[in-house]
Amino acid sequence: MTSFIIRRLLIGLLLLWGASLMGFSIMKAAPGDYFDRLRMDPRVSQEFIEQLRQRYRLDDHVLIQYGAWLWRFVQLDFGESFEYMLPVNKVIGSRLVNTLVLNLLAIAFTWAIAIPIGIYAAVRQYSLGDKILSALAFVGMSLPSFFSALLLLYIFSAVLGWLPTGGLTSLDHDELSFGGKLADYAKHLVIPVSVLSLMALAGLQRITRGNMLEVLRQQYITTARAKGLSERRVIYKHALRNAVNPLITIFGYQFAAMFSGAALLEIIINYPGLGSLMLTAIRSQDQFLVMGGFMMGAIMLLVGNLLAEILLAVVDPRISYS
Amino acid sequence: MKKTITVILAFGLLAGCRREQAGPSEIYRACTEEDYKKNKVIGKRGGTLVLATFGQGPKSFNPVTSGETSTTDYTGHIFEGLTTMNAWTYAPEPLLAESWSHDESGKVWTVKLRKDVKWNDGVPFTADDVVFTYMDVIYNPKITTSTRDIITVDGKTWKVEKIDAHTVRFTLPTRFAIFEQVIGGTEVIPKHKYEAAVKAGTFDSAMGLDSKPEDIVGTGAFMFDNYETGVRVTLKRNPLYWQKDAAGNQYPYLDKITWLIVQNLDAMMLAFKQGETDMYRLRGQDFPILKPLQEQGKFKIYSLGPNFGSSFVVLNQHPGKSPESGKPFIEPYKRAWFEKTEFRQAVAHAIDKRSIIDTVLNGLGYPQDGPMTFRAGFFYNDKIRKYAYDPPRSKELLTKIGLVDRDGDGVVEDTAGHEVEFTLLTNAGNTIRERISEIVRKDLQRVGMKVNLLFIEFNSLVTKLDKTFDWECVLLGLTGGPEPGWGGHIWKSSGRMHMWYPLQPRPATKWEARLDEIFDLGLKELDRDKRKVLYDEWQMLVNEQQPYVYTVAAEDLVGVRDRLGNVFVAPLGGRLPLHNNHEIFIK
Repeated sequence: MTSFIIRRLLIGLLLLWGASLMGFSIMKAAPGDYFDRLRMDPRVSQEFIEQLRQRYRLDDHVLIQYGAWLWRFVQLDFGESFEYMLPVNKVIGSRLVNTLVLNLLAIAFTWAIAIPIGIYAAVRQYSLGDKILSALAFVGMSLPSFFSALLLLYIFSAVLGWLPTGGLTSLDHDELSFGGKLADYAKHLVIPVSVLSLMALAGLQRITRGNMLEVLRQQYITTARAKGLSERRVIYKHALRNAVNPLITIFGYQFAAMFSGAALLEIIINYPGLGSLMLTAIRSQDQFLVMGGFMMGAIMLLVGNLLAEILLAVVDPRISYS
Repeated sequence: MKKTITVILAFGLLAGCRREQAGPSEIYRACTEEDYKKNKVIGKRGGTLVLATFGQGPKSFNPVTSGETSTTDYTGHIFEGLTTMNAWTYAPEPLLAESWSHDESGKVWTVKLRKDVKWNDGVPFTADDVVFTYMDVIYNPKITTSTRDIITVDGKTWKVEKIDAHTVRFTLPTRFAIFEQVIGGTEVIPKHKYEAAVKAGTFDSAMGLDSKPEDIVGTGAFMFDNYETGVRVTLKRNPLYWQKDAAGNQYPYLDKITWLIVQNLDAMMLAFKQGETDMYRLRGQDFPILKPLQEQGKFKIYSLGPNFGSSFVVLNQHPGKSPESGKPFIEPYKRAWFEKTEFRQAVAHAIDKRSIIDTVLNGLGYPQDGPMTFRAGFFYNDKIRKYAYDPPRSKELLTKIGLVDRDGDGVVEDTAGHEVEFTLLTNAGNTIRERISEIVRKDLQRVGMKVNLLFIEFNSLVTKLDKTFDWECVLLGLTGGPEPGWGGHIWKSSGRMHMWYPLQPRPATKWEARLDEIFDLGLKELDRDKRKVLYDEWQMLVNEQQPYVYTVAAEDLVGVRDRLGNVFVAPLGGRLPLHNNHEIFIK
């Protein structure tokens, strides 16, 4: 197991290097750079722009720029954001908590609902409940996040006025008691968490259902039932444990997505998360910020996959990596 | 992205249509300076003014290193310059400086500072702070600031010295007409607070987003309170502010100003519509939604006049060759058309500005014929010629320079038989420009020019304009203002943004040579009336020659909620009417 983890980590490093090279070259292949927008400002002189470009060594050969970035990256110095004039880790850090809270809640919510629903739908295959849930799942999967966000905003904020129209806290947030603050956060999180869960829920529910169905058809389930085990024990102890493997792989991917944010959703509900920050950074070619976010995403994907593989081995004794 | 906006808009419309029985309402005009002086009242202390700001929020609170509106929107209330510009006439008025005068040479200015000003941490404001701001901060090569360029002429710098605790002497290398504006726009920062950071070389990152209230020290009516990342910025009243009202009450009246950070423009409109914010700058498409709601929503919509951002068509006249391929930047026969004044005038007469206003700007805009509009006030020359929509006249002008449709295919040819065909570029994603381009294309087709449209990334467009020069025709906009003196980069033939032929070794034409003279003289002339004569001539020349064929300027509209007192919408009072921020109160 240990040697497997070490091997995977080494391959991971190689992958990271490849990803960074690719990310950097794609960004450099885009025309212009961050400071081009200053060129259309009559009050800014050519010298000032040149000075800025020199400061960030934008005139060097692309490979030299990449080398310099990589050298600092391995020392955990992610460079400085052009736009914020602050170290990249600080800029990302300022939004990280918001994104994590939103995504963790969404994941917890999704899993807590999707798995029981999936099991229910599998056990009562083709019942009315299963059909309704399937229909809902397909609606959920096909609604794009921005649309469901708008729909919820329209119903719950514009028409009913129960929930705020966006943001993270209310205007009077600072004057609230501790409990009031928590309630205020919760109120603002209802729509984004629902939207994110709705999307993931549908897929996860379908996969749980499919796997359960497959397992339930196996002979050992028949055996288990035949020897008189309670239906509850058959499903939770024998069927679910074997149906769970593909879900763990999905968890690995969700773990990675947790940090990348959901730009469209954030823009619509004014949520200060990482997604919209990164989108703006990419559009303005704030290169070190983009690279910082990109590498974080890549690392999370690797870690998520590794985690899923380890979990699989733990959960399923049939899998071994030696 | 575009889809998102349309959908929200549809919702906005739905919600707006539901209650449509509001009575007739009109647009209110910006008020005059006399109204302001007469109607200003003694206000009431307390309350929070709520505004919204578009985008990702501030990038920094450092007024020196960050010149973008995402920073200056806030720092403008925290820091002050030595002077301030009158919101109606744009004449300099005292602020931190009590009075100022220059010697006969016009190069040495003596500025007397107010003695009753304190920084918001209680330390008195003195001449040392002014000297520090200019000499130690702005002229410090280690500090990133675009102000340094403005106060450096041909490599020569200003000398700023302390005479006594409340007198400062500025010695300039040349006479400088906009001196009073520059010392107004340059916000003074306290020496006692930032000297250490400047010496340590960490000033660029001082006053960053993680600042605490005590880290940002200014003299303005408000001080920093709190920034909740990506959600809102709050400023609170500065209890030590130096101005008092007529009854002796301490300004400012407001306890707080809060900006909500909003990431999409439709949400910003909705926030105003629902009464969550107190002021809002309308887009053309918001007007039909908000206009009928004025009475019921307890707000009024004011017009400030034409926006300072212009949209114009420019034709490439660069005679150079690409150093790599040896090919000319633009086909010489095409350049020959573009260099003819008549050709550019023909383009001006061919564009139907009225229909652009009606279709693109919802009828809210003004045709523009020159670089300035009446909103600029003093320096605007109202005698410039209006280029009416007149296709026959346009055709006549083309015929005069030998461009006639010889083969009857609807496209004019020059004497060598080249069809007049060129590509018009604009930046993709800017829907207003894309739509104007489409109308311009059709209008020019009507007089026999074949125009191909191409929308490209903004960065690529800029690269073409100032590096590779391989373009034919561009539709673009620039932000202007009431002061022509800033236009050197755009109008002088050696200028980087002299778009039709930038960085000329020597002026290509007589009128361009004259423009160079005007902008050199204009910056050295201290007499405002004499400058006016110069800039009048500039507007006449540009209007005649049409190097930039101006199209339309959008109407600037601002919504202000009725609960606010002492809000006086002024044409030159900024994007939102906050020029008298200390006097605004909540009724």
